[in-house]
Amino acid sequence: MLNIVKKATIAGLMSLTAGAALAEYPEKPIEVIVGYSAGGGTDVMARTAAPFIEKYLGEGASIVVKNMPGASGQIGVTEAANADPDGYTLGTFNLPGMMARTIDREADYDRDSFTYLANVVNDPNVIVTSKGSGLDTLDKLIADAKENPGAITVAMSSLGGDDHFALIKLQNATETEFTIVPFKGSAPARTALLGGHVAMGILNISEVAEFQDQLNVLGVATTERSQFAPDLPTFQEQGLDLVNGSMRGFIAPAGLPEDVQAKLMDAFTQLKDDQEFLDAMAATANPVEIVTGEEFRQLTSDLYDLANSVWQATPWN
Amino acid sequence: MSESRKPRLTRPETLTAIGIILVAAGFLIPTVDLRPISALLPAAMLIGLIVLSVFLLLADQRKAKAGEDAAPMTKSPKRVLGAFGLIVAYAIATDFLGFYPSTAVTIPLVAWIFGYRSPIGLLIATVIVVGTIWAIFDFGMSQDFPAGRLWDR
Amino acid sequence: MYSDLIHALPDVFALTNFAAVIIGVIAGIVVGAMPGLSATMAISVLVPFTFGLEPLVALGLMAGIYNGAMYGGAIPAVLLRIPGTPAAVATTFDGYPMAQKGEGGFALQVAVVSSALGGIASAFALMLLAPPLSRVTLLFGPSEVFWVAVFGLASIIFLLGGNPIKGLISACFGVFVSVVGSDPIYGNDRFTFGQLEMLDGINIVILLVGLYALPPVIDLLETPLKTDGVNSTKLGTESLWKALPKMKGFGMTWVRGSLIGIWIGILPGAGGSMAAFMSYNEARRTSKNPDAWGEGEPEGVAAAETANNADTASALIPALTLGIPGTAVAAVMLGGLLVHGLQPGPMLFRDNPDIVFGFMWQFLFGAILLVLLGGSLATNSFARLLNLPRPLLGSVIIVLMLIGVYSIHGRMFDVYLMLGFGAVGWVMDKLKFPLPPVVLGLILGGFAEENLRLALRIGRGDWMVLFQNTTSLVLVALTIAVIVGPTLKKRYIDSRKAA
Repeated sequence: MLNIVKKATIAGLMSLTAGAALAEYPEKPIEVIVGYSAGGGTDVMARTAAPFIEKYLGEGASIVVKNMPGASGQIGVTEAANADPDGYTLGTFNLPGMMARTIDREADYDRDSFTYLANVVNDPNVIVTSKGSGLDTLDKLIADAKENPGAITVAMSSLGGDDHFALIKLQNATETEFTIVPFKGSAPARTALLGGHVAMGILNISEVAEFQDQLNVLGVATTERSQFAPDLPTFQEQGLDLVNGSMRGFIAPAGLPEDVQAKLMDAFTQLKDDQEFLDAMAATANPVEIVTGEEFRQLTSDLYDLANSVWQATPWN
Repeated sequence: MSESRKPRLTRPETLTAIGIILVAAGFLIPTVDLRPISALLPAAMLIGLIVLSVFLLLADQRKAKAGEDAAPMTKSPKRVLGAFGLIVAYAIATDFLGFYPSTAVTIPLVAWIFGYRSPIGLLIATVIVVGTIWAIFDFGMSQDFPAGRLWDR
Repeated sequence: MYSDLIHALPDVFALTNFAAVIIGVIAGIVVGAMPGLSATMAISVLVPFTFGLEPLVALGLMAGIYNGAMYGGAIPAVLLRIPGTPAAVATTFDGYPMAQKGEGGFALQVAVVSSALGGIASAFALMLLAPPLSRVTLLFGPSEVFWVAVFGLASIIFLLGGNPIKGLISACFGVFVSVVGSDPIYGNDRFTFGQLEMLDGINIVILLVGLYALPPVIDLLETPLKTDGVNSTKLGTESLWKALPKMKGFGMTWVRGSLIGIWIGILPGAGGSMAAFMSYNEARRTSKNPDAWGEGEPEGVAAAETANNADTASALIPALTLGIPGTAVAAVMLGGLLVHGLQPGPMLFRDNPDIVFGFMWQFLFGAILLVLLGGSLATNSFARLLNLPRPLLGSVIIVLMLIGVYSIHGRMFDVYLMLGFGAVGWVMDKLKFPLPPVVLGLILGGFAEENLRLALRIGRGDWMVLFQNTTSLVLVALTIAVIVGPTLKKRYIDSRKAA
C-alpha cells in the first residue's frame, strides 16, 4: 500500500515537471473503475490483472483500482464511458449485463461509447439439476420439459444476465418452456438447488466446480471442455448447440489518442501468453479467455443483438 | 375562546400526522404503474402509514380538545435549525470545496458558534482530528475523500 | 462435529490473528464510546480495507470491534447519559444516577465485567449451536425463509413501546424504505426517481447513522455549553479486585441476561437494545427492591450490559448458517465474510472450517479481553475523551458521521440521504416514535418480500406453496404465538388479579 502511495507521489511529481506534450504515456497513475464492491468477481479480476498490465505498460506505470459499486455495475461503467478519453481512466466491463442494461433501463452509454481493450474472463454457463429431481441427464431433462411445459423450475442469479440468456437459447433450441426463479445472486440459487427447492439451475462453472458431488452437472456451454471440470462434456458434444457465458474485461472511453490506444492494446494482448498471469487467475477460479480489440467489439455487438432480440420477444421487466 | 388557547392544527403530532399522510399519498401515485405483485408490499405499507396517521391525528386532536398542551419539540428552535443548517452546509462544502478544507473550517466553526471559544483548544482539536483522519484513512487505508467538484475542471 | 472446533484453535493464536482481536477490542471501545459511531458503522467502513488482509486478521478485527463497541457504548451512557450505541440505552437508567452519586467508576466496572460475561456466554452459544444448525439449513427454501422473516417482523410487537400506533408507523416506514430500489424479481425501479444510486436499495448504515447519530448531535449542540457529564477525576474508581466482591449478588442477573441476550440475538431482526430492555425489565421485576431501580442500582447496569453483549455472537448463528443476519451488525459482518469469498450457508462449515471456527474463538477471546482492555485505566482515559466540551464533541462527531457514510460507496449522494433520514430521525426522536422498528422493518421487509416472491414463482403463483411443509407450519405457529402470546399472558394475569 505504501508502495502505491510512493509511486503515485513520484508519478504526480513527474507529471508536474514534465511538459505535457512531450511526455510519454503513462505519465501519471491510471485509474481503473470497477463497478462492484471490493471482493466481488470483477474486482478480483481487476486487482489480479493490475500488476501485469503495469508491467507491460512499462517503467513507472501504475494502476489504481477504484470501486464505484451500484446498480449492478451501471454506475461504474457509466462513469468510465463518460470520462476524458486520455487513457488515464479505464473501466471493467461485464457481458452480457452491460449491454442488457442499455435495453432494460435508461443508460447514459451505448455500445459505441467504448474503446474495447480486452475481455479477460469467460465463465461458461452450466446446467445443473438437484439430486432429488431425478433428471440426471440432459436427455431426461429435455424430455421432461417437453412433456410438462413450465413445470420445471429454474434457479438463476438474475433476469437479464448471462444465465437468463442461456435459458432463452436452450428454450429456443429445444422448443421447451421452463419457469424462471431469479434469485439475488448465484449463491442463494445454488443453496436452493442443494436443498432441492428448485429442480434445475443455470449457473457458471466456477460456481459449481466444487459441488459436482452434490448436484447433477449436465454439461457446459463451451466449444471445448473447461479446465475446471475436464470430465464434464460440452453441450455440443451432446448434440445441443448451446454456447454462453458470463464475460468480464476492460474498456476505455471511446476516442482515445492513437498512440495511447496502441500502447494499451499492446499491453493487454501480452496478457494472453503470460503464464504467471494465467496461473494467478486460475487460483481465483476465473476461467480466462482473452479476446482483444476489434474481436471484443464484435463480441459485444453480437451480444447486444441477442439481448435486443430476446427483449423484443419477451421483455423481462 | 380564551386567549390562552393554543391553535389546534399546529401541534407537532398533528403536523407530523398530516405530513405523513401527504407524503405517503404522494408515494402511492407511482405504485399504479407497477405490476400488482410488485406494488403489493409498498402499497400496503403506504396505506398502513396513512391509516395509522389518521389514528394518530385523531388521538392528538382529542388531547387538544381535552385541553392538554402539546409538549414543544425544542426549547431553542434557533439552535436546532442552526445546527442542522451547519451540518448540511458542511456536507455541501465537502462536496464542492473538498473534504479537508471543509473539515478544517467546520470543526472550529461549529464549536465556536455553539459556545466553545478557546482558540488554543480549537486549534489543537482541529489538528488532532484532521491529522488522525488523514493518517488512518488517507495514508493507512488509501481511502479517497471528495476533492471538491469546483476544482475538478 | 466439534473436532473442527479444536482444530481451528492454533491459528487463532498466531501473532497477527491475535493482535487483530486486541486492536479490534480497543478500537471497538473507542468507537462505541463515541456517540454517533456504532459497531455497524465501524465494521462497514473497515470491510473494503480488509481485502488485502488474511481472513482471520480481518474477522478478528471485526469480532473485537463488535465486542468492544457493545461495552464502549456504556461509557457515555454512564457518564453523560448519552448512549454511545443504541444498545446502551438501558444502561443509562441506573448508570447515570450512579455516576451522579460519584459511583461512576464502579458502574463502569460492573458494565465491563457484565459485558465480558455476556460475550463469553454468547460465544459458547455460537460454537455449540451453529454447527448442528448448519446441517438443517438446506431445508430452508424461499417459503421457509419467508416465514423466518415474518417471525422476526412479528417480534416488532416487543419493540412498540408505550404507544403502539407510533410503533407501527415506525415499522411501516422501515418496511417501506426496504422496497426502495430495484424490484427483487423483475429488476424494475421502485421509488428511485431515476437515481442510479438508489437502485440497490438504501444501505442500512445510511439509515442507522441518520436516525441514531444525528439527533444526539443536535441535542449536544442544542443545550448551551456546560459540562453536565461527570468529571473523570470524580469517577471513584478502585481496582477491579476490590470492586468484584461488591458484585457477588449478581449471579442470577448475569445468567438471565445472558440467556435473554442469546435468544434475542438468534431471533432475526431483534438486536442488542431489545435484549438490554428485556433483561433490565426482567431483572427489575424479580428484584427484592424494585423501587431503588432507576436511582442508581448497580444490578440494573449489570442486567443491561450482560444482555447487550450476549447477543453479539449469537446474532451470527442465523447469519452463518442461513445467510440471514440477525442484526444490522451481523448484516455488515456478512459483507466482510463475502470479501474473503466466504459465502454464508451450510457450505461455509464444510469448506472453511478453520476460518469459521477460528472466527468463533475470536469472539470468545474478544469477550475475555474486554476485562483486561476495558479495565479501569483504559476506561478512565476513554472517559476523559468524553469530557471534551460539548460543542467540540458535537463537531467532531459530525465529521465522523460524514466519513462513515461517505466510505460505504465513496459517494456524497449517501451523505445527503443520511441527512434526510437524520431530519426524520430528529422529529421521530422528539415525538417519541420508537426507532428499533424502523431498523427491523428495513432489514426484514426486504427479506420477506424477496422470498415470498421467489416462493410464489416456485409454486407458479399458488399461495398454498407457503404452507406445504412442516418447517413452514412450525414457523407459522411460532409467529402466531409471538403475536398472541403477550396478550394472553396479560389476560391471564388480569384474571388472576380479578379472582
